[in-house]
Order: sequence, then structure tokens, then C-alpha cells
Amino acid sequence: MSPFLRTLFVIARRDFLSIVATPTFLLFLLAPLFMIGMGALGGVGASQLADSARGAGRLVVIADPGDMEALRDADDRLRDALPGDRPAALELRIAAANTDPVAVAQEKGRDTYAVMSGSLAAPRIVEREAGSRSGRYLALLATEVLRNRAAGAIAPAAPRFESLTRGGTSIAAQQSIGFGAVFVIFLLTLLLAGQSVGMLAEEKGNKVIEILAAAVPLESVFLGKLLGLLGVAILFIAFWTAMAVGGGLIAMTQIDPAAMAQAGAAAGASAPPAVLAVAPATGWPFFIGMSFLYFVMAFLLLGAVFLGVGAQASTVREIQMLSLPITIFQVAMFSLSTAAANAPGSGLATIAQIIPFSSPLAMAARAATDDAKAVHLLALGWQAIWVALVVYLSVRLFRSGVLSGRSDWRFWKRSAGVATAAATAADAAARR
Amino acid sequence: MSELSVEAKGLTKYFGAFKAVDHVSLEVPTGSIYGVLGPNGAGKTTSLRMMLGIVDPDSGESRLLGGHTPQSVRHRVGYLPEERGLYPGMKAREAIAFMGALRGLEWAEGRRRAATFMTELGLERVIDEKIRKMSKGMAQMVQLIGSIVHAPDLIVLDEPFSGLDPVNQERLETLVRRERERGATILFSTHVMAHAERLCDRIAIIARSARRFEGTVDAARALLPMQVRYTPRTDDPALAALLPAGAERRGDAWQFPIQDDAVEPLLARITASGHGVAGLSIVRPALHDAFVHIVRQVDAGFDADAHADAIEESAA
Repeated sequence: MSPFLRTLFVIARRDFLSIVATPTFLLFLLAPLFMIGMGALGGVGASQLADSARGAGRLVVIADPGDMEALRDADDRLRDALPGDRPAALELRIAAANTDPVAVAQEKGRDTYAVMSGSLAAPRIVEREAGSRSGRYLALLATEVLRNRAAGAIAPAAPRFESLTRGGTSIAAQQSIGFGAVFVIFLLTLLLAGQSVGMLAEEKGNKVIEILAAAVPLESVFLGKLLGLLGVAILFIAFWTAMAVGGGLIAMTQIDPAAMAQAGAAAGASAPPAVLAVAPATGWPFFIGMSFLYFVMAFLLLGAVFLGVGAQASTVREIQMLSLPITIFQVAMFSLSTAAANAPGSGLATIAQIIPFSSPLAMAARAATDDAKAVHLLALGWQAIWVALVVYLSVRLFRSGVLSGRSDWRFWKRSAGVATAAATAADAAARR
Repeated sequence: MSELSVEAKGLTKYFGAFKAVDHVSLEVPTGSIYGVLGPNGAGKTTSLRMMLGIVDPDSGESRLLGGHTPQSVRHRVGYLPEERGLYPGMKAREAIAFMGALRGLEWAEGRRRAATFMTELGLERVIDEKIRKMSKGMAQMVQLIGSIVHAPDLIVLDEPFSGLDPVNQERLETLVRRERERGATILFSTHVMAHAERLCDRIAIIARSARRFEGTVDAARALLPMQVRYTPRTDDPALAALLPAGAERRGDAWQFPIQDDAVEPLLARITASGHGVAGLSIVRPALHDAFVHIVRQVDAGFDADAHADAIEESAA
């Protein structure tokens, strides 16, 4: 192993251990649990809210007793075939002389979206919102009943349904996978790469940077720190992957095999489980592998930038100040990549794939929707060039700014200062 | 000793418009103990850092261990920075092994040597203690061990004695001598003359950004005339005529400087005069005095320059 690599690993080892071998790391490792918990709580709350609201909603038809059966049949037929949300539950009432549809619509206890009264040929529809779907649906019901009566009973069409699940995943599903990849990579880099902002401040605070700078090239300090943090990130991902796989296996054992078999039989013996039927364009193994590589790239790129920027800070307060623009920058890259994931093949997507800092996210999304594989090699190479460039620049900035002990952060003035001093000296010499 | 462990030529560094180091050259012979002396803020640390390649000089160059660039011989150099610092969460043994590993030493070997060194220096109690639990002096000893644990050929210590109690200072002096016996070259900076006087083969004095003296300790002391302290048996005011012009009376004794060639004539005069000798010492001034003398001269030169400039400006 070359001395450069060896010192790099010495630094990485120290950083990795100093992060992992602390009680706070456990808290950090389990942080997503809190996030999942909060998400689950919020989700349950929202769905309960939606459920109760849905249960309370209704449509009311006030009709003659003779129309009741026909209306109920028509509702049964139409309700399932309509795309989008189902209409609210239908309530049928027998018309009485004094029934006021407006009063029915305003009854307490339930949300009434629309009330239809009068004859089916010329019904009066009172709706809560003008032009609502509920009103249109009631009108459709009336028409259906009338049409049935005019035409008589006809045998329904006998369709043969064929499923496309094995032929390929829909573009919408692939885009969702792409978005998922963008989101996961973004979340992980936000959680993990953001930490590198404060890493060199530690060394500067306890003056160890003098020892490091004297003993090893600054490049290996930088890369070592990145590598150490990457190790932490991979440990983090491995832990949660293991948790997910373990959780999945436990869930499998909990499901009754008989129920599974029954479900399988119902869906058709050859139908694969629903989850596996959805696949990214490049296939799952390639996609997961690429997503991991892109995560590493995104991590290295952002980590290198943050390490370089963070190296300019020397106090915790400065680091906190720097964290905000950095987080905004990350979110901006995330938004760009999300837009790109939702519009594959567009000019915006191409831009997101070329900008080095959004490229890993956007390319991971592309792996979900585009089956070309060679382009990923190109992207990885392009991103690697940028990693090298950013590390090089960060090291230069760090060396010139901080290690020389110069408090002047205006780096463009540093060389000017030397020139001025030299000029002054020359001037003084000339005067003597 | 012909071979040089450090060969720095014309090192110059500006901090903004301020010339922190002005054409400092150092030549440290291999196998010697070399002291860089200077008042606070004279540019010692910056000179050492440029010499070791931690900071790039604005001009000049530095070669270590026989003509190598500082970067190419990092594993053969040990350095104790002026600003002490260790990872507070690390155990002493690990910290030493880590510093060794940075310079290319195996971790296991580093841990083993750490224990040996710490035991020798009376620190066996805290081998597995975390740095943050140690006293400042202890941590400094740990860092010192860390900077020599890989048995470097060149050891550079920046103000190694500051912050240590006399016992540890003594231990450090022993350690320095032992490292020299092993064959290492030691270069250290200090503003405490006693250590330099006891340890150094050669010294350089840096004041006002530039090197003002280079040579052996004896050569530095020889810059000032010897001091005579003479106590006659009789109390006769006429004695003053026999003594050189600058003689001062302090209590019973007379004190005055004397040039090397004036010693024998003075002794002859005193014996002939019949005033007797109750006490007589002729000594070289200590390094301390030579140092203060050199630094004052430099300061006076600067003040004179400033004065001349002021006159020039008021005339214009």
C-alpha cells in the first residue's frame, strides 16, 4: 500500500471509530425510527380523519317507491366502473308530500353532497357545491334508469380481462421508483454528508490539525475524513437494510401460508406477487447497485464541498451558520432532481443529469425509467472527476486560508498583500 | 560533522504586509542538538513550520535529511507543534499509536512502544486513560512521546519545555539526550536559556524576524566580555585608579567587564598594588546575558532606524 493510501486509512480509521464508538451514535443510528414513527402516527391520523369523513358523506335520492329498485341496480352497476374516487354512499328515500330537499341537504350529523328529488325525467338536484361530481353522478343515475326502462334488459358484455403485469411496468410506476430513489439518496446524504461540515472544526478546535498537517499531506486528511464518514454512512445503510430484510422475513412468517396460497389461486397460479411485478427499466439488481454507487458519489461530492466549506469555519456557531445555506443547496438539488425524475427525457432532466451535484440523484432516477446502461458509466466517470476537483480545490482553500495562520479570509487579498509588502520594501530600498 | 539534517536557505514569510520571517537560514549538522532561541513573536515557530513544509515560504527553500524535500521524508521526521493538541476522547496509548501510524509505524508496534515510553517517563498510571482526563503537562508528555514514537531521524520540538514542571523538564532533557545517542538530530526552539545552555551543541538566535546569531553556546557567550568580581582586603578608594574605567563598587566588591587579553595585566596590577585578594572571579557571562545583549542590540537598531526615518520625514 502506498504511504498516501496508508495515511488515508489511518485518518479514516480514527474518524470512523471516534464517530461509531460513542453512545450518541446509537441515537443517530436509531433516528430514522423516530421519523418512521412520526410518519406512521401522522399517516394513521390522516387516514382516520379521511375514513370518518368518508363514512359521514352521502348522496340522497328522494324518489317514488317504484323507482327504488331500478335506482339501486343502476348505482351498483355504475359505482365500480367510474374512474377516480367512488361517489359517496347513496341513500334512497321514499318521496312524501312535505319532503324538502333543501332541508334534507342541511340535516345535521352527516355531510350531504347532493339531493335529487322530483321525477326522474326532470329531477331537481340540490348540491352543496355548484358543478360537483356528486350532482353529475345523481343525474347520471337518473339517465341510466330511464335508458334501462326504454331499452329493456340487455345482456351485459362478456369481456375477457388480460393483465399486463408481466409485460412491463407502467411508466408511472417506474417514475415513482425513480422518485423513491431520488428521495432515499437525498435523505441519506442530508443525514450523513451534512455531518462533514463540522469535521475539520474538531481538529482546528483541539489543534490536532498541526500534527496532521505536519505528518501527512492535507489531501489524505481530507480524503481520509470523507472515507471515514462514508464508512459510517455504509454502516448506517447496512444496519437499516438488515432491519428491513429482517422485518420482511418476520412479516412473511406471520402471514398464514394457506391465506397466501388462496390469494395466489385467486390471482391465478402464475401471477407473481404484486411488489415484484413493478420493476425499474434496468432491472432490480442493476438499479439497486447503481443507486448505491450514485449514493456514494452524491455523498462524496457533497461531503467534499461541505468539508471544504466547513474547514473555513472554526467555531460551532460558524458551522451552524454555514449549515443553512448548505441545506438549502441540498434541497435545491433535490427539487431539481425530483423535477427531472417526473419528466424523464426532458431538457430539464438532461440539465439535472449534467450538473454534478444533482447528477447522482437524477441519474438514479434515470436508471428507473431508461434501460440504457452505458450512460451510467459515463455519469459515474463525470461525477468522479468532480469529486477529485472539489477535493483539490477544498485542500487549496484550506491550506492557503487556515493553515498559514492568516486571519484574513479574503483569499484574493492574500497574494496582493505580499505584492504590496514587496513593493513597499523595494520602495524603501530605493529611498536609502 | 559534514552532513546536514536541516538545510534551510533564505526562508521568508509575509503575513499581509508584515514580514514575519526575513531570510532565515539554518544548517543543522546531523547528530547534533540544535537550539533556536528568540523572544516571543520573533518568528521561531513560522521558521520551523516553513522548514518542515507545513507552510509554504514566500521565498527560500528547505531541505531535510540530506537534500530531500520536507514532504518526501515525513516518516523520518518527528514534530511537536507549539500549539499542543490531541483528540480528547482517545486513550493515551491509542493517541501515541495514532501519531506513529500517521508517520508510517504499525499500530501494534506503536502501542507497544507507547507503553514502554510512558513507563520510562513515569506515566504508567495513565497509559489507558483518556486524554481529557489528564493534566496539561501529562498530555504534553503524551504528545511528545507521540512525536518520537516512530524513532525519527530528525526531531523538531517547538517550545517543548513550556508548561512542564521541573521534574518533567528534567525527564525531557534526558529523553532528548537519549534520542541523540540513538543517532537522531534534535532541533528545538525555546526562550528559556538554561535548557539551551545545558543541551545545545549549536544555537541560532532569531529576533525581529531575522537570524541574528549562529554558532556554539560558547561562541554566543564570547560575544560579551568576561565579568570580573573583585573584593580587595583593604578599603582604599585609590584602588579605583588601578581598575578599568567602567568599574563599579557594589558593597565590598568591584565589578567590571574585561577583555580577554587584559586579564593577566590586571592580575599583575592587583598583586603589585598590595590591596590583597579577598575574593576574585572572572567568568564568561551566561547565555542569558548574551541573548539579552543580542536582542537589545537588534531592538536598538530598529529604534534607531525608526528615529532616523522620523527625522527624514520631518525634514521633507
